[in-house]
Amino acid sequence: MLSDEQAVIELREVEKKYAPDIVALEGVDLAISKGEFVFLTGPSGAGKSTLLRMLYKAEEPTKGSIMVDGMDLSGLSKSQIPQLRRKVGVIFQDFKLLFNKSVFENVALSLEVLGLKKEQLASRVRQVVEGVGLADKLHRKVVQLSGGEQQRVAIARAVVNRPPIILADEPTGNLDRKRTKEVVALMEELNARGATIIFATHDDALFGNTHRRVLKLKNGKIEEM
Amino acid sequence: MPLGIILKRAITDIKQNLVTHVMTTIVVALTCLVFIFFSVFSINLQRIADRFGKELAIVVYLKKEIPQDRIPSLYQKILSMDGIENVRFVSSEEAFKRLEGYFRDEREVLEGVDPMFLPPSFEIQINRAVYNPARVRKIASELAKWTEVQKVQYGKEWVDRLEAFSKAVRAAVVASAILLLVMAAFVVSNTIKLTVYARQDEIEIMRLVGATNGFIQGPFLMASFLQGITGSAAALIVGLFCYEYVLNIIGQTSLIRSLNLQFLPPAYMIAIVFVSGLFCMAGTAMALRRFLRL
Repeated sequence: MLSDEQAVIELREVEKKYAPDIVALEGVDLAISKGEFVFLTGPSGAGKSTLLRMLYKAEEPTKGSIMVDGMDLSGLSKSQIPQLRRKVGVIFQDFKLLFNKSVFENVALSLEVLGLKKEQLASRVRQVVEGVGLADKLHRKVVQLSGGEQQRVAIARAVVNRPPIILADEPTGNLDRKRTKEVVALMEELNARGATIIFATHDDALFGNTHRRVLKLKNGKIEEM
Repeated sequence: MPLGIILKRAITDIKQNLVTHVMTTIVVALTCLVFIFFSVFSINLQRIADRFGKELAIVVYLKKEIPQDRIPSLYQKILSMDGIENVRFVSSEEAFKRLEGYFRDEREVLEGVDPMFLPPSFEIQINRAVYNPARVRKIASELAKWTEVQKVQYGKEWVDRLEAFSKAVRAAVVASAILLLVMAAFVVSNTIKLTVYARQDEIEIMRLVGATNGFIQGPFLMASFLQGITGSAAALIVGLFCYEYVLNIIGQTSLIRSLNLQFLPPAYMIAIVFVSGLFCMAGTAMALRRFLRL
């Protein structure tokens, strides 16, 4: 276990139960240090998404405490949640994109909420979209893109505001092998730039030969592999 | 979030749901139009009441046997009363001459009548600046107590009725204003709710990327404010045209011309526009609070 000073994410005795008696997580203790790249694995329904959702306060634990980048989530008021979410970039399995809007508009949304000026916003969006290899499709509507391209838009939106923490919930779940490799490479690059990453996946091939820490969720409990 | 961005996002929202927003603005305009109609009626009624009220004089009939040397002191006493602008003494002879004037060609009916049979009187003009029906009543009742006075006459009943009617109309205008503005706010807030409902996915994504409540609510509030002000401004334009049209038809008579009718004062119009905008915004804020669980 890491000390409080080193851990950017820390869970203590976290439990999540759903009515009537479904236990999603039980006694989870976890510490992730700054700049770490962690794979979170486990079968479908193991509680990977639940754990990630609790880290950006989309869900509350039934018991236990969660600290994210120095913020105690149990004491966080509604008005403080945006501050937390600006520190945590989330890549969703279902992308959560605005399909009738352009790539630019989707990615820009993360910067608009910060109140960035138009010119600054445009240059940052271009830079990030170029980084995920979609520069030529900047003004194309998301609905016109392939699944892999849409996933890359979702990644661009999650990282454009340079969050210190990135949570990727099955970001390769809908992609073929080639696109999956691209996404993993992109994540490695973001990690190399200093971002702490939790990469949730049930694809064993992704972390089979990795030197990264792999956490496995089984029956609501976490174990290191 | 800067006001410019909120405005831009609000206009984009309106453009995306143009038909709904236009229909809502029309409902707001119609609602405001009803209120404007009541207001024009009330304001002009008040003006007429004020004008005729101010022109009303109190006539103090003196007892016939009053000694002539008491007249100057009574004159001074009346003039020194609070709120009196002018006092004029009308002798019995002058009153008779006026009566003859009324009869004109038929003045022979007054043959043989004693020219002194009418009582002398004072005609009192109330100061326009301080005029109000209650003051007229007070002055009249005070004068009636004097021993030299036989009778005090003024348009008491008329003034009272006009005052009561004017008060009732004003109350109706205030009540209708509140009712209609609440109605407009309700309609606008429901339209905004529909827009919010249609954009729930977008709102959810905004929340996930760290949007504050202000960022999410701002454009909706701005859109409702815009609907409120455009609806009420449109109602004022339509109301003004209707007023001019009606005035052209009925305003040819000298009676109507003499009433010097007017549309709403500029400050009143500005107030209608801004209050409508604010009411629509307040209604939307309440609806959003419940709907977005802020």
